[in-house]
Amino acid sequence: MLSRKDFLKTSALGAGAMALAPSFNQLFAAPNSTGVPKRFIFIRKSSGIRPVEIALRDFSDSDKARDEKKQPVEVDLDKHELPKWLRGLDVHKEHMTILQGLSAKMSENVHWSFSSVMGCFKSNRNTLSAIKRTTIDFELAKLFPSPFGHVELSFAGGRTGIVAGYSAPAPQTRNYCYADPEAAQNELFKSVLNPEAVNSDNDMLSFLQSREGLQVSGIKGHEKKRQETHIDSIEAIRERNKKLIKISGTLAKHLPELAPVHANGGQNASTPEKQAAMTDVLIAALKAGLTNVVTYTIDDLGTPITGLPGNETDRVGIHPLGHDEAFGGVPAWKTREQIRISHVNQINTIIENLKQVPEGKGTMFDNTMIMYFPENGETHHGIGSESPFLIMAGNNCNLDMSGRYVRLPFLGNEGHKTLGNWYTTLLNAHGNSMEHYGDLDLEMSRKKLPQTGSIKQLMG
Amino acid sequence: MRIIVATLLLTGIVLPTLSAAKAADRFAVPQDVQAVLAQRCIDCHGDDSAEGDVRLDGMDQLGLAARLDLLNKAQEQLFLGQMPPGDEEQPTAAERARLAEWVSQELHKNNASKLEGKLQKPEFGNYVNHEQLFSGEFKDLPGFTYDRRWLISEYIFSAKFQQMLQGRSTARRNKRNVPVFGSNRFNQLSLTNPFLLPTRSGVRYYANTDLTGGHLSSMLTNAQKTSEHVTDYLVKRNAKYLPAITAIMALEDKHNATLASRRQFLEYFIAQLCDEFYGSENEALLPKFIPVTLKEVETLEEGETYKKAPFHVAQNMLKGLEGENTVYQSLLNPEHENKSDEEFQALCERIWFYFGDHERKIQGRMTILRDYMPEIRDNLDKNRRKFRLIVYKPLGDDEMKVIQASIRKHRNNGEHYAAIIDKCMAEWEQEFAQQQIQAGPPADELLSELVDQLSVQILERSPDAAEADEYLALSKSYVKKLGNLKGIQKLIQTFILSSEFAYRQEFGSGEADEHGRRMLSPRDSSYAIAYALTDQSPDAELVQAVESGRLKTKDDYKREVNRILKKREVYYLVDPILADKNYQDNTTDTAIRKLRFFREFFGYPKALTIFKDEKRFGGDRLGNATNRLINEADRLVEHILENDQNVFEELLTTEKFYVYHDGDNERMQAASDRIKRIYEYFKEHDWQNFDYEELGKHKEFLREVKMRSINPDKLESGNRSGSGLRLFNKSMTSITARLDKGQKEAAPFDMYRGYGSDFMPGENVSKFFNYPLTNWDYATVQPAKVPNRKGFLTHPAWLIAHAQNTETDPVIRGKWIREKLLAGTIPDVPITVDAVIPEDHHKSLRDRLASATEVEYCWKCHKHMNPLGYAFEAYDDFGRFRLQESLESPENLVKKNPDEAPDRNHLLELRDVYKTVPVDATGYLKDTGDDSLDGEIRDAIDLAERLGKSRRVRQSIIRHAFRYFMGRNENLSDSSTLIDAEQAYVDTNGSFDAVIVSLLTSDSFIYRKAIED
Repeated sequence: MLSRKDFLKTSALGAGAMALAPSFNQLFAAPNSTGVPKRFIFIRKSSGIRPVEIALRDFSDSDKARDEKKQPVEVDLDKHELPKWLRGLDVHKEHMTILQGLSAKMSENVHWSFSSVMGCFKSNRNTLSAIKRTTIDFELAKLFPSPFGHVELSFAGGRTGIVAGYSAPAPQTRNYCYADPEAAQNELFKSVLNPEAVNSDNDMLSFLQSREGLQVSGIKGHEKKRQETHIDSIEAIRERNKKLIKISGTLAKHLPELAPVHANGGQNASTPEKQAAMTDVLIAALKAGLTNVVTYTIDDLGTPITGLPGNETDRVGIHPLGHDEAFGGVPAWKTREQIRISHVNQINTIIENLKQVPEGKGTMFDNTMIMYFPENGETHHGIGSESPFLIMAGNNCNLDMSGRYVRLPFLGNEGHKTLGNWYTTLLNAHGNSMEHYGDLDLEMSRKKLPQTGSIKQLMG
Repeated sequence: MRIIVATLLLTGIVLPTLSAAKAADRFAVPQDVQAVLAQRCIDCHGDDSAEGDVRLDGMDQLGLAARLDLLNKAQEQLFLGQMPPGDEEQPTAAERARLAEWVSQELHKNNASKLEGKLQKPEFGNYVNHEQLFSGEFKDLPGFTYDRRWLISEYIFSAKFQQMLQGRSTARRNKRNVPVFGSNRFNQLSLTNPFLLPTRSGVRYYANTDLTGGHLSSMLTNAQKTSEHVTDYLVKRNAKYLPAITAIMALEDKHNATLASRRQFLEYFIAQLCDEFYGSENEALLPKFIPVTLKEVETLEEGETYKKAPFHVAQNMLKGLEGENTVYQSLLNPEHENKSDEEFQALCERIWFYFGDHERKIQGRMTILRDYMPEIRDNLDKNRRKFRLIVYKPLGDDEMKVIQASIRKHRNNGEHYAAIIDKCMAEWEQEFAQQQIQAGPPADELLSELVDQLSVQILERSPDAAEADEYLALSKSYVKKLGNLKGIQKLIQTFILSSEFAYRQEFGSGEADEHGRRMLSPRDSSYAIAYALTDQSPDAELVQAVESGRLKTKDDYKREVNRILKKREVYYLVDPILADKNYQDNTTDTAIRKLRFFREFFGYPKALTIFKDEKRFGGDRLGNATNRLINEADRLVEHILENDQNVFEELLTTEKFYVYHDGDNERMQAASDRIKRIYEYFKEHDWQNFDYEELGKHKEFLREVKMRSINPDKLESGNRSGSGLRLFNKSMTSITARLDKGQKEAAPFDMYRGYGSDFMPGENVSKFFNYPLTNWDYATVQPAKVPNRKGFLTHPAWLIAHAQNTETDPVIRGKWIREKLLAGTIPDVPITVDAVIPEDHHKSLRDRLASATEVEYCWKCHKHMNPLGYAFEAYDDFGRFRLQESLESPENLVKKNPDEAPDRNHLLELRDVYKTVPVDATGYLKDTGDDSLDGEIRDAIDLAERLGKSRRVRQSIIRHAFRYFMGRNENLSDSSTLIDAEQAYVDTNGSFDAVIVSLLTSDSFIYRKAIED
């Protein structure tokens, strides 16, 4: 039988459950969760990142040859120039890791990976029942609890409002996400923007609590304890709602200002405007302490793109671009590069903003990891042999990796690492000693090569 | 606690009473216990030996947590009778009892006994002594279940929301669309099912799960979404659905309809109206036209290539930019039909500008017009029937007066039309809001009706008088604070969030008998019966039986259970995962929970989640093949249940299976005959070397037989896999391989991948059964005999579900048989065991497993599993029969085959060839509790034959059926229920329906006892 205290630990509730964030209802209390939390931002992009796009252009001849042959390479970034599209992060190079050589065959590839790229399972397209495990972001959220536990933002499909997301708080469970900046702001800061809604929810909970309470008197034993737990669960939500109303003044200080173009889903906002506004909400949520983990699907193949340099007056589609089909007279590769640059601009904004916020002996960014990666592998039609990761990590990162370009042995070779190894590394480095996260790679299994556990060379 | 103690007593477990546990707080081992430990245990678990890392000689030196952990292990071992081991000298009964008593006392002091909790769980059901249950010794104990609430299952959740949301699902069965129950898709709503069941094999749905905060929080979101869907969509679609909402919202709905009609009219025709109202002055009142600037197309750099996105992409973008309507309406307008592209683009831009569309939208549309005008005109010409010119038609006179007055009132010089519309709408909205306030809140009678209707719709009963008053007061308060719409939504949410929605109620009512038992209340019994056999609430007949007082006796129960078991007019989805993937034939008209019992008992659906390698499978589309395999396993269970004779024996020993077959023999025969006909027609021709001209000579025949993707009148067309000629060649290659080796029947469908909608994905399912696609004498009439298979335990679905990703798993397979068929128990894996099979690329898996588990410490448990699981080594981890085991390691590679089929030739074998070692599939049965079973086993087929004849196996399945239908473990007071169920099976020549009827009319099902504190 759960006590009320246990309920707070086990409940899938966010602090603003129902009233504040009906869809983001995962809150996990972690043992020993004192001190400064670590923060994780996962930025998913569509249509692949080609390994050559993220490779360094000025490798030495021998490193270049090794990189092209997919053999292990490790170089310091400060001695090299970044690819053009990454140069917006030049000033943060010391925090950057380019991680090449991870494979992602155990997740879904080709066009879409849905939940699987963050869960290391085959998602059978987007079948709910195929969601095999809690995705990595929610696993990390358990380690660093917060009022909302986890926040998912998404521009997938050009939708608006609160819609189905890709992260999974538990097996066979699909998270919801905020699909436009205004919806994200309204939900995350509901206690500031719409306290009446919070209060009306509490009225309902109060009624339910009293009705369920009446039933306790007529039952005994296990059923009575069950009922008491139920009542305690309701009470816990009410208390949290009240608390959030109480601290709404503090939250209000972090409330982002959104331009009028973002009203009603922001149909007329350009892509750079939308991205900038969503990034503002993301930063605000982190600064307000509403969450420590954000998953941000910055685009998918159905996201309409407008207002990019070179295609300022066009609307372009990521899927055709992946097939080299172009718009407005601009070759597809150039538009694809501009899309990546727009992503890098958001990463830069997040870093710059978090660096402005003092925390401990440093800044908020010191305790933050940003991971930018393709959802589907190495090309528009990914096959999962490679899944490049760009990682930006602050000074207090638990991993030893910053300022480096690391190419790991290719799939099917001794020492090769998979997405599962990478996620295991994240978990092991932050207090979850899980032996291995995710499904195993079958080629590695077939070749009887070891493949479980963390990536030791990255462990701090 | 008394309920637990009572359960333990009824299971034959002797534990001390709680009062006996009030010993001194300070830990000390009593002298008599010390003596037993010293004499019976310390030799192996002392300072020198510590077998299994367990030491019993220094308990007082341990910290509390470590001591409790040790005592819990000891309690379980004692209870199972596994310590001391059988080959050691055993303690006397008195010594054993004393030791058990003391261990239990110590654990109770700290409320730390895990055994009692475990005994409630399905995986510990077998702990109750099997011989005692069936001996008849306890037959006179009165059977009962405690009063309880039972949390709804994932399936009941889906059914409840489907019912509430009026969901309709259909599937194609027997050439017609039939409605089906069981979908987990809820219209356009994305609901989260918080009641998911565990994925283990065996019984998954038990009554001991509590509603937690996790369930509640998901339900909060579900309730909110559902309430909005009900008010915003359902009541508008169906006036009879919750008519009180329609009545309460009548005025708002009327206003909203008027507003929507005016907005739509204005958005289409405001330019025309203003021309009419203002005549020649209209143009002067409009804002000054400012054209948008488009980014100029730059010249490509040298060597750069450019591929314009295809028209369908642009078409979708124009639609997304909300420009499609204007473009095609203008093109359809005869006034503009002679305009040049430039003139037409200018026209559209002006329309959009004057209306007031956002500059960016206009830019996007204009870019598309600039780049795709010829394609747009061509599209209109080709699809003219799809487009229809919207002709101006004024609204009624009164409405037109209102609109005209409002436009004149609000129009200012230089304003876009959209701004005028917005101002008009704002005025009307305000006016209507005022009228709504004046109309006052809904009458109490209407709100009472709403409460009653919601209660019936959501809780499936009318509220009693007190509840009705309480909910009326609540609804008045909601409406007052939130308004009508939000107030109604909040009331819907409140009903959905009540615990009554999430729990099934199973309470006794009426007078208690001499044993303190009362019969289930008629209403509760109707739900208990309905949910025992289906996921749906009681059907109309059951409801009627309750209302007319005909659900009060065992005969009443029997009548209703038999009726539902025989009912065939309703279809159920068997597996929502397969339904998601459009496996239309994965439906059944058998009461779904009857079929699901065997699905869960055998646990074969787990094969869907075992991630496997296509390369090792030797072909592509492994996912489809696995889906088909599960589907056909379901079909086989359904077939055996439909015959309902010797059901257990048939399941365990049938030699007939479905392989690439949907259960419709007529359809399969027709499809096979068609393939044979094509083969016969072309076999004498040199079809391999046909050119278009030659192929064209056979148009008439092609028209008749409709070969896949081949249009006889456009042979060059084809699809993205190639031209018609190429596809013909591929089909003929595949068809020929099916019949040119003397096969009598051909597997159905071209290229195995069918024609149009009449085909079945998953042709590679044959590979699991060792049938190569290139030489398969297909059985059109199925189930049909398959060589080297006998019973469900040799079905590839079961074998995959009980295997690892790349290897077989004799331990899991053996454990399954021990627990599910022999009613045996296997202790948890000790935490000190690192369960890894050593790698050795020169040995079989059996040998490697033996080296790790056949050491003394491991063998005491593994001897109950391995010898059973070894019998299945005759099948690999894909369930394929084998005599040799491949040593799949690069150093043993004999032949490397391509990783992907060249030219997508799915007939090729892609598996690499490795060195092999012979398979040893021998094993033995021992300590089964059935002397006739024990002995050496030749292989899995021998094992299946013996299991199929065993009475103990029959009893074990009945024990699991008991748990499935009762939602709890059996205990000695259920002895009579189990004996009767077995007898019913025997008396009816092995009818599973008879077992169900017996269980659902038993005292254990019907009678309830009040819970005690």
